[in-house]
Amino acid sequence: MSKKNKIYWLEGVTEKQVKSLLNDENSKFSWLRRQRNRRVLVLFMAMGIIGTALGSYYTGLKEELRLDGSAEIVWLTVAVLFILFAVLVGYSLLRIAVRGIADAPTELLDERQVRVRDTSYRYAYQISGYLLITLLLLYLFGPEISIFSDTANDGSYLLIATLFAYASLPSMVIAWRERDI
Amino acid sequence: MSRNPEEPVFNRIEEVRTAMGLSRQELADKVGVHYQTIGYLEREEYSPSLVLALRISKTLNQEASELFSLTSFKKGK
Repeated sequence: MSKKNKIYWLEGVTEKQVKSLLNDENSKFSWLRRQRNRRVLVLFMAMGIIGTALGSYYTGLKEELRLDGSAEIVWLTVAVLFILFAVLVGYSLLRIAVRGIADAPTELLDERQVRVRDTSYRYAYQISGYLLITLLLLYLFGPEISIFSDTANDGSYLLIATLFAYASLPSMVIAWRERDI
Repeated sequence: MSRNPEEPVFNRIEEVRTAMGLSRQELADKVGVHYQTIGYLEREEYSPSLVLALRISKTLNQEASELFSLTSFKKGK
C-alpha cells in the first residue's frame, strides 16, 4: 500500500482521515458512539437545522413572540450560539460518531459498512423528498400563516438549512439507525 | 422462490474463534473487515457475502458448510 495520503476529491476526504475514524484512534470519543448519545446528537442537529431555517422568518417570529429591546438581544444571542454549536460542532461530532462512514470511499470500507453507507443514502434521499415537499408547502401556503408571512424573507437561511440538511442526512441516518458503529 | 434479504445465515464463528484463541480484532484483521462486522456476524445480524464467508472459513480452518448454515446449529456441535 502506498504511504502517500490519498485524497478522495469526490468524497472530500483523505485516506488518513477515513482510516483514523474507522479505527479506534479517537478512543476519547468512544462515548459518542453509543446509540443513545448518537441519537441525542441527531436531535440537536435537527433542531439546529430547523433553527437555521427559521432565521428566514425572524421578523415574523419576533413579532409573534413579542420580543423587544434586551429580551430580543438575549434571545437572539442564545439562539445563534445554539444553532452554531448544533450545526458546526454537531456536524464534526456526528462524523466522528459514525466513523465517517457516510463520506468514506468504498475501497476503505468493508462489505457491511458499504451496505450501511448505501442504505443511509437511500433513506436520506427519501427524507430529502419530504423536505422538498415541506419547502414547497411553505412556499405555497406560508404567506397565509402569520409567522411565515415575513415580506423581508429572501429565503437565504432556508437555503443554507436545506443544503446543510442534504450534507448531514446520511450521517444522521447512520447515527440514528445503527446499533454498533 | 421469493428473495428475502433478511434471511439469517447461522454460523459458528464465535465458537471456533474463541476455541482458536483469537479476539474479534485479530480475526477482523486476518479477513480484512472491521471488528464490529465480526460482532454483527457472530450475532447473526449480518449475512456475509460468499467471498467473506469463504475467507472466514479459510482463516478458521473450517469448511464453509461447517461454519455457515441456513438452519440453526444445534448447541454443542
